Amino acid sequence: MSPKLTAYSTQMQYLNQLYALSKRNVIVRYKHSVIGFLWGFLKPLIYLLIFIVIFSAQFTSVNNYVLYATSGILFWFFFSNITAQGIQSIIGSSGIIKSINIPALLFPLAEVISELFNLVLALIVYFIIMHWFGMHYTLHLLWLIPILFIFALFTYSVTLILAALNVYFRDVGILWNTIQPAIFYLTPIAYTESLIPDKFKFIIQANPIYYYIKLFRFPLYEAAAPEMMLLLKCSVLSTGLFMLSLLLFNRLKNQFITAI
Amino acid sequence: MNPILEYQHVWIRYRDNYGGIHSVKDWVTSLRNPFHTKVILEDISFKLMPGESLGILGRNGCGKSTLLRSIGGIIKPAKGKIICSASIAPILALGAGLEMELTGFENIRLLLSLYGVRPTAERIRSIQLFSELDDVTLNHTVKCYSSGMLARLAFSISFHHDCDIYIIDEVLAVGDLGFQAKCTERIRQLKDTGKSIIFVSHFPDEVQQICEQAILLEQGKIINQGKSSVICQQYKEIF
Repeated sequence: MSPKLTAYSTQMQYLNQLYALSKRNVIVRYKHSVIGFLWGFLKPLIYLLIFIVIFSAQFTSVNNYVLYATSGILFWFFFSNITAQGIQSIIGSSGIIKSINIPALLFPLAEVISELFNLVLALIVYFIIMHWFGMHYTLHLLWLIPILFIFALFTYSVTLILAALNVYFRDVGILWNTIQPAIFYLTPIAYTESLIPDKFKFIIQANPIYYYIKLFRFPLYEAAAPEMMLLLKCSVLSTGLFMLSLLLFNRLKNQFITAI
Repeated sequence: MNPILEYQHVWIRYRDNYGGIHSVKDWVTSLRNPFHTKVILEDISFKLMPGESLGILGRNGCGKSTLLRSIGGIIKPAKGKIICSASIAPILALGAGLEMELTGFENIRLLLSLYGVRPTAERIRSIQLFSELDDVTLNHTVKCYSSGMLARLAFSISFHHDCDIYIIDEVLAVGDLGFQAKCTERIRQLKDTGKSIIFVSHFPDEVQQICEQAILLEQGKIINQGKSSVICQQYKEIF
């Protein structure tokens, strides 16, 4: 058979490589676990229960607390899982990188894709359960698709930067895992913004994840269309950060092989 | 006739960080410049004509694997030019790219997709036949495999990929006699159909059997190149 018959075009080949890597991630993650992908849904649930205990005051004061918290937790885990795994994805694939000529940015991207897959499964389960917690099924839920897209782009950009730096300085990965809980508690996921005194609000407003979580809450929690200005700002932020991360990644990628 | 692969004065450098900070002195020096540059390959030039095979010989750590990786397009040269008009198969080294947590079958599918080949049932079947690993083994995670079995799997996957140049980084040594014979036979078949092999080994006799041309590396430099019989003799003499 001639190579032409068996080989794909370059773009198709990247897509296939991306698919294969994402599939590998999904398989490997739950390889030896009994309930498998159900963890993608159970982990947020356990967090939700912890919140209900810790933030019990909020629980009674916030209208529909379960729905409020869930609409934040799910997407926080999306972000936190991708960054935590993506940061190691290039170092972890050293065997492949050392023997196959494959674009390094596919490895963090595969983490995004496999996590998207998990998120969609978890969302389906939650969509059913949230029926009993007062969710309104409106057409506004379709807004989730573009919002998820720009949030995934944001997450991917952060992961690209972290993963590239982590190849040379393993401190980055350790530092990131250490400060992640702080970022989590600085994002109004388990509590509402109104709980924060005005003079400390700037801390929350400096946190980009806050804006994305806010976007997700429009269709999920308020059953409304998102604020267009906010959606626009987030799109610009995602795109800008993505270009910046590509620039940095492309500068650093040529020497990856020497450090993994 | 044009060469299918040509190296013109290729240099390869690694940027290396100091591998962690162990003292205050380290810390101060690393602040100034956390990297130092190390030359791995110096002024490499050679030509490979279609159908010819090339052996690469040299001591441990002389830059053989780096040279292979630059041929495979994985490392870009710092200086010089690599001209290549052929399709190159992924580098076949011990356990290359095999995912330890996946089963043999899953690895076959993963690697074929990464190589850019559709993992059809018949292709998987023929890989299995060549590797002589049974269904039970291939359904086990690869981390339980012996090094010989890993080599069998890696070798079988890589050789079911249709390319002009095959790169082999001393894997033959691990398989048992039967599999070695099979691989040698396969290499001969490939050569008969006009494919090129780039072969690294510490057994000069093997190199002489497979390759017409050879290169002798010493500390990142080519100290001699030419007919493999001559180079292999010289290689034996340096020890």
